[in-house]
Amino acid sequence: MNLFQIIAELEKVDPEIADRLSHRRSALTALGNFGKKMALAAAPIAIGSAFNKAVGQNTLTAVNDVLNYALLLERLEYSFYNQALSAPTLAANLTSGSAARGAIETIRTHELAHVNLLKAALGSAAAAEPTFDFGTAFSTYPTFLTFAQAFEDTGVRAYKGQAGNIPRTLNPTVGGTQVNLLTVALQIHSVEARHAAHVRYMRRGAAAGAQTSIMPWIVNAEANGAPSAVYGAGNPQANFPAENNLAQGGISSLLTGLGTTYTDADVSAAFDEPLDNTTVTAIARSAAKF
Amino acid sequence: MSDSASSFSGRPLRRRSFLRVAGATAASSALLLAGCGDDDSSTVAPTTNTLTFANSNTGLLNYAYLLEQLEAAFYQKVVDAFPPDFTAEDRAAFLDLRDHEVIHRETLKFALGSSAYDTSLGETPLAFDFSSFTLTSRAGVYAAARTLEDVGVAAYNGVGKLLLATNDNSHVMYLRLLAKIASVEARHAAFVRDQQQANSFAGADVVATSGSFAGLDTVKTPVEVVALIAKYVPIPLDASLLPTT
Repeated sequence: MNLFQIIAELEKVDPEIADRLSHRRSALTALGNFGKKMALAAAPIAIGSAFNKAVGQNTLTAVNDVLNYALLLERLEYSFYNQALSAPTLAANLTSGSAARGAIETIRTHELAHVNLLKAALGSAAAAEPTFDFGTAFSTYPTFLTFAQAFEDTGVRAYKGQAGNIPRTLNPTVGGTQVNLLTVALQIHSVEARHAAHVRYMRRGAAAGAQTSIMPWIVNAEANGAPSAVYGAGNPQANFPAENNLAQGGISSLLTGLGTTYTDADVSAAFDEPLDNTTVTAIARSAAKF
Repeated sequence: MSDSASSFSGRPLRRRSFLRVAGATAASSALLLAGCGDDDSSTVAPTTNTLTFANSNTGLLNYAYLLEQLEAAFYQKVVDAFPPDFTAEDRAAFLDLRDHEVIHRETLKFALGSSAYDTSLGETPLAFDFSSFTLTSRAGVYAAARTLEDVGVAAYNGVGKLLLATNDNSHVMYLRLLAKIASVEARHAAFVRDQQQANSFAGADVVATSGSFAGLDTVKTPVEVVALIAKYVPIPLDASLLPTT
């Protein structure tokens, strides 16, 4: 059998197969591993599972599925901030009129607006709202901000991971206004990035532990106490690299590939990375019960 | 580490080679810029001393490239002569900001190859004019940075839907690349806004808190953005040919 011929045949019916395979070589490597253990007759099954793995974990294709996924994340974020604002353990830090409370209230307002917009866009297709249990996330102010950073940075990665799944030509009327869905997703995406930057900046404050090494941008894959998966690679890694990724635009390493030497801190921070929905959902479920 | 070398492998690499070859033609056509769009066979009469973006994904990438050139030049100017009241923290942050924008600029330039507009413009680099800003004080520098970063965020938010579908799916690759940059610009914007005015990271002037656009960041078309940045750019800009839907 000729594996390249099979892939070539697949490309005829699925022109994107080569893109969705993380890398032909890695798919073939996977096949090779199976091949060592399995009889030739079983190879077609091995090919199937290799492809399933290579196609990866971004399982959303229908636009409504993408929107419901976004809705879940926005509901999680809204509930997180809403519960934080009434948590007795945070009252001393989120005092009325304080800058910290003002910032969290602003963020909550945005998250609620995102929830409402997505619900309106989905109409009757909107999923039921779960109840979120954030466990010990509100036990201390620094812990709360650590979770907030994790949720916001994950949110940025989640929207980026779906950008290619939203057709650019969808212009539904939402709440009486015609919108372009891809543009709306990008507009939410950049708001989440603004939130992330601010929360990260809040963590530098004395009340949050004076963690002045934390920047508004993501340096390498530094988690700053958040779950490392938030900054790790998704699946497939080729499409969803970790935040310490140094390869962009067809250049294997920007450290030296642009004619000048840059640091890994600068290169990694200059680009945020997308994440697949399965990895994002797993991160969310590791931080909250719902 | 593996990474997006692979998502940029295969056809996208061939695509880049194509850009380079096609770009050479553009260069020989004097100021015809980026006229090598994948599904764009239209040509534009060379216009002396006007930077015209072609109706193609290459035109859109050149538009993003100009924005990054502008931002990088701005931060370089600040870094070259920090205002006297800049703190050590300000300086460190601005070195980061400068480096990020230079890396964005150079990455887009690489992706464009010889289709990068300045190849055919013969004016590399453009001497941007920041005289409308007050760069001698911390407040002035942050106000200027806020202006430029907010425009950048709005511009990237507007570009996404304009990328034309291509047979080789390079538009998805470009969308991903621009989105990777866009959220970093939003982080920059939030940071410089917070420095200029506490808690303004996502102020109501950029993210509405009520109405149809509540919770959404700003979005601007290339024509709108070009009008906003024209005063910094030494030659006229024409974004009227870029896709609008």
